Parts: sequence; structure tokens; C-alpha cells
Amino acid sequence: MSYKKKSTRTVKPGRKREKWTDILPRYLTFLSHMRPILRETRRIIIDLDADLLLDTEILDKIRQEEEKRNIRKVRALSEFSAMYRSNIYEIIKDFIVKYREKIPIIDIKDYIVDFLHESIDALNFLRHITNPDELNLENTYLYRLVKFIEDKLFSRGANFKIIYNNLLDNSTNFYECQRHILQPHTFYRENLENPDYFEIPGISPKIYQILNNITSLFNLDPNFGEFPERENYEIPIILKNDVFLPYIDSIANSEEEAIEKIAERMGLRLIDEIFLAPQEEFVEILLEHNFLRDNKQSDGTIRLYPQFSNETLILYYLAFASQRRGFLSKELVNWISMNFAFLIYMGILKWKLSDENIFYTIFEDLQTNEKVLPYLMKLICFPNYLGLDKMKIRDSIQYRKEIFNFIGSQIENLKDFIDEIAQYCENFENKSKNT
Amino acid sequence: MIEAQNMTWNKLLDEFQGGLEKAIEELQKRDVENIPGAKEALIQRLNNIKLHFPKNNGEILLKSINDKIQNTFFPNTKSFAEAFEKILKSRTHEQDFIINELLNGFVTSKAKAIASGTQGPIIDRMVEAFSKRDDFHIVDHQFFAMFGDPNKPHHYVKNQLKELARVFGLISKELVIEKDVRRSEEKVYTFYTFPDEIIKILKEKYLVIDRELGYTYVSREFDRNVFICMFLANIAINRDDLEKIGSSYTVNGISAIFALILLLSFMPKLSVDETNPILNDPNFDNRNMSIIPKSWMMKQVLEPLFEPLIKIVAYRIGGGLWFSKIINSEINKKIHNQIRFLLKDVNKWILGNLCRVEIPIFIEISNIFTEILVGYKEE
Repeated sequence: MSYKKKSTRTVKPGRKREKWTDILPRYLTFLSHMRPILRETRRIIIDLDADLLLDTEILDKIRQEEEKRNIRKVRALSEFSAMYRSNIYEIIKDFIVKYREKIPIIDIKDYIVDFLHESIDALNFLRHITNPDELNLENTYLYRLVKFIEDKLFSRGANFKIIYNNLLDNSTNFYECQRHILQPHTFYRENLENPDYFEIPGISPKIYQILNNITSLFNLDPNFGEFPERENYEIPIILKNDVFLPYIDSIANSEEEAIEKIAERMGLRLIDEIFLAPQEEFVEILLEHNFLRDNKQSDGTIRLYPQFSNETLILYYLAFASQRRGFLSKELVNWISMNFAFLIYMGILKWKLSDENIFYTIFEDLQTNEKVLPYLMKLICFPNYLGLDKMKIRDSIQYRKEIFNFIGSQIENLKDFIDEIAQYCENFENKSKNT
Repeated sequence: MIEAQNMTWNKLLDEFQGGLEKAIEELQKRDVENIPGAKEALIQRLNNIKLHFPKNNGEILLKSINDKIQNTFFPNTKSFAEAFEKILKSRTHEQDFIINELLNGFVTSKAKAIASGTQGPIIDRMVEAFSKRDDFHIVDHQFFAMFGDPNKPHHYVKNQLKELARVFGLISKELVIEKDVRRSEEKVYTFYTFPDEIIKILKEKYLVIDRELGYTYVSREFDRNVFICMFLANIAINRDDLEKIGSSYTVNGISAIFALILLLSFMPKLSVDETNPILNDPNFDNRNMSIIPKSWMMKQVLEPLFEPLIKIVAYRIGGGLWFSKIINSEINKKIHNQIRFLLKDVNKWILGNLCRVEIPIFIEISNIFTEILVGYKEE
């Protein structure tokens, strides 16, 4: 007879409610394994006579010796440490081989030590961006950075109008980033017409095209119909069929069937089953930003002429998703939190590492990313931060591979934003020092 | 033969002339502009075009298509390297948008031919796969490891990669291992890379070659547009072989895009009152953007202009073979209609006005028009 107590919980593995104190140590695990390796390497390089560096075989021998000292019992950790150490030594060797004819070896040694120093500092910083008890929350870097990015890309606000206005203010500098976080690369997994009515998926390339068609049709040749909620007003309307006219071979069939839900996410509604028109709440916002212009007709009715911009509907979608962030689809939650985690991680690296640091590639490597970012993604989802449903973050390795493979293909605007985040970190540090 | 060619060309010019008349007629019926004088400026421009285009055997069109469009996007050569180099060299940041949109149009309309079931990131996958290695090759196994779905068989990714290599003009090399470590069976690895002559061109800016260490990395400049340039160069050199380039879809899609670029370049710039809110819009940059009349994009105006112009472009770049593929079928009309909504990132809607970003190709084509117009006026 077994004395093992049977669990009464029937939660699927991986779907357990994870607490802050469960996830933070996991985030720290790999970081705390990387730092000692870099520190050991720095000590070895400092102690080594510069001339000995010219012989790369010596470095190989040192590495082999270091590997023998590995006493970690967890296989994944010891494998990672071995990989990490070997990457560091390979980079150092390559650097020496490349520059030994051009730069005195003593200077090469100094460079390597400096680069290692920067990297250790960056890792140390990444380990301390927050604390286990979330003490002094508002002064932790994680909190400040999430709020800084959130304000620009995924604003919060007391009502829809405030969110939309804030996003629009930031769209001058970061429109492409705003659009980017709405377009998950795993869009093909999403159901347009989800049985869960409230679920909000991301924007697929085809939805983006449809959104563009709608903007153009409103601007080019709209019809006008009665404003259902307001007498004597006419709002612009377009024919639903015109939007889908260009598509051949039924390639936009599913979008056409789900048009009511898609339209709702853009601030539009279906009238008489055939026309698309702005919703009542959206009309107010459009008027405020000059996206609708009123014109009194000879019969006394006031006609609202559309003058949409590229961002008019996209920002509605974004504000809609932000306001209903508890209902985002799995793909969108993963994509948004991954982009936030990536921006924070890269912003800190940009701040701490010089551009020519030879170890940058290790930090940017997929193998390092996939050890650090998934847990950072989960931390970011907690209520004090982005407030997304962290249970939707997928743990599957295959999935991580799928989305992380694309964080390298950055858009220019993301790079500008990373620079701005680095600058923000610098300013915040200076401010903290002065107070 | 030459006589027949002249007849076709003259017929096409006549058709375009007819289209212009119809467009002007439609324009006079309706006004969708919100900038005073925009409609009049467009009518005047279309009248000018009508007056001057037929002169010297359609000189303006000939110069615009032969010298500008072909040199920038679709070089008239049989050499893959030469075509690729020309397209690559004409790249500018903004021009990339056009070229990007160009391919996106195809991905939508002939997605099956390029890579089944995907709408976009397939080229990004290629970029990522090349970026992850230090020998400027990709291997089918690596591609599978990076992007493959373990629930789907390996050959699915293998075939997709083979198809992509064909579309972009990559070359493949096979490495046969007599006995692999795991099962002691023969194993064949297929490596894909760019042809040597293309690598030579890429070396200038897109590849970082470390001779001492023997590595070849891609530089930060290496992006999806390198593949799109390959795609265009591949079609340009194989323009006589419809089977190779994907037949009627490609012909219609490419001709329509180039026709749209031509039309856009010919549109007049509008000057607006200094109190116009668009001038204060943070997204409008007065230095490199101009407002153009939007009514040319109205279906009733664009259609009569667009259709004959597509035929003209097809005839100039692909001769009778391409021309014969532009038929007024419903599908072709839809492709043309779809392209009407392309080029969104270059032409921004700002407060209901269509704003053209002044990229080199637009400026160059519009300069041809202005130069020839001034020449005629002086005469």
C-alpha cells in the first residue's frame, strides 16, 4: 500500500497558478549562472600574462580545466554553462586572432577585461531589476521600464478616449512600434470568429490590408447615412462588399464572415448588414481629432465628412485591445509580452554595454534569449505591471522558438525606441543618485 | 513585323487617350476633394497628359518605362547578376516600401506559389536562417530546427525550402554522408546559398567576411529586401518564360504595380492654405512629402486610366507575350483592384488627404514629364 498522498487538484501540468515568488527565482536562475562564468573568465584573463594570450591553445586548455570543475547536478544547467563558457572563450579567441597583428596584445587584454567588466555589470543589473517582495515597487527598474514602454505603446487610462488620445500623441514617434505589437507572427493560429465572443486576436497581414482598404474607401468616396443615435446628423458609410471586392479565390472568406467582429475592433459597426460606419463613441473621438469634419447641408442636416489618417483605425484597435487587455488572445498576449521583455532587455544592454562589446552577440543569441525572456515575459504580465493573463504565456519550447526567432528581425523604429529606453535608464539612475 | 508592332503601340496609345478622356469626364461629374483647386489641378494635369503623351511616338511613356522603371525595378538583361545589382543599387529606405508592397501584393494573390499557407513572414524566416550561421548557407535541417513543426513531417519544410530557393534564384549543393552517427545510414544534407556572382555583389555592403577566421556573416543591412530584389531580378531575366515566372498572375501583378507607380509620379502636387490643419499634423513632413489630389484614386477615374496603362507597361516590358496575358477577365480586374490599395506605407493618408512621399523614382519620372512638357512649350 502506498502512503503517497494523491493530489486532489486536477490542473493540467504547466497550467498551475504561478506566483511572483515562483517565477522570479526562475528568471534569476540562468542569470546567476552566467555571471560567475564571466567573472571567473575575467579573473583568469587578468591573471594571465598578456603574451600568453597570443597562443590560443592556452585558452583552450584553460577552458577544459574550467569545465572539469563543473559540479552542477542539473543537466540543463550544466549544459547551458558549458555552452556559455565555450561561447565566451570562442569569442575571445576570435578577437585575439583578428586583432593580434593590428593592436598590441597588452591593449587586446585590456579590451577583453573591459568588455567582460561591462557584461558582468549588465548581468548584475538584470538580476536586480526587481526584488522578491516587490518592495519599494515604484522605484524598481522593472516597474519603471514597463510603465515607460506601456505609456507609449499600450497606454492605460480611465476611459477609452484617454487611452486613444495618449496613443495618438505618441504615434508621431512610435507609430510603427505601436502597429508592430498588434501584429503577432503567429497570426495563423488565431480564430477570427472565436467562440469566445470577447477574445481579441492580433492583426494578421490580411486584416491589415482590409483595414487599409477601409481607410481608403472612407477617404475616397464615402456614402452618407443617418446617424442612428443623433437626429439631423449624417455619418459616412461604405459598402462592406467594396472592401472585399479585390480578393480572388476566396482568400478573404473567413475575414468576410467575421467582419462584424473585426469592425468592432476598429471602432466600426455594420448598419443594415451591408454598410460599415463608425460607432457612436468613436464619432466623438474622430471629431475631436479632425478625423471627421462637420458640414451643414442646405436641408439643415449636419454631414460628417471623413478625413482619416493611416493611424486612425489602427490606434482604435490598439486602444481597444489595451482597454480589454484581460481578453487578449493567447497569441497576442505572448507577442505583446515578448516585445515588452525584448525592449526592456535590449534597452538595458544598450545602456550597459558599449556598441563594440564583443560579448553583445552572446546576449543577443537565441539560446540566451530563451533562458531569460520567457520568465521576464511572465513577470511583466503581473497585475502591477502590464496586467495580462500570464496563464496564456506558452511554455512549449517549440513555441518559444517560433516567436523568438523573429525578435531578431527588428524594425527600425524598434531600434530607435531601444535607444530611448537606454536613455531613460540613464536618466533614472542619475535621478536616483541625486535624491 | 515592325509595322505590326507600330500598330499595336499606336492602338495602345489611342486606348490610353480614350481612358484619359473618360477619366476627365468622370472627374467633372463628382468632387471628392477637400482642398480648393485640387480637382481643377488634376483635370489640368490629365489634359496636359492627353495633349503631350502621343507626341514623338509616346516619348514620355517610353522614357519613363524604359529608362526609369526598368532600370530601377526590372532591368532588361539576361544576366541575373546585372539585374540584381541594378535593383539593389536603386534601393533607398523609402523605395524599399514600394518594393516590399510589390511582393506583398504577390504573396496575397499567389500565396500558394511562393509558400503555401503563409502570408508574410516566410521571407523573414529566410533572413533569420541566414543570419544565424557564419558561412552564408542555410541547410534544410537547420531550417527545420528553427521553424519546423515537430508535428509535421520533415519533407514539408524541405519542399517549402526548395520552392523558395526556386522563386528567389538560390542555388543548392548536396552533401552526402555515407554513414550518419545515429543510424549508420546514408544521409543527404541540402545547403542553399546565393549564386557566386550575387555573393560578389553582396560583399560590398551586405556581407562581412572575416578572412582570418574564415567566417561569412550577414551585416545589419541584410534584410528581406535583398530577397525581394532577387525575386524581381529572377522574374526580369526570365520574362520570356511564363512558366518559370508564374504566368498570368505575375504578369498582371507586376504590370499593374508599375502602372500605379507611373500614375502616381504624374500626379500634380497641391499647394494648400497655410492655415490647413494638415500642415500642422505631426505626421506630415513638408520637406519630403506632397499632397496629391485624391480623386484620381476613385474607382471611376482610376479604372479608365489604369487599364490601358497596364497594357502599355506590359507591352513595353514583356512585349507581345506579356500583352497577350492582360485580358479583361474578372480575376485580372480584381488583381488590378487590389493593387489600387497597395503602396500604403509610401502614400500616407493624413487627415483624409493622400500624401506622396517624394522618393527618387517618383521624382525622376515626374521630371521626365516636366522636361518634355517644357520642351514642347518652348517649341
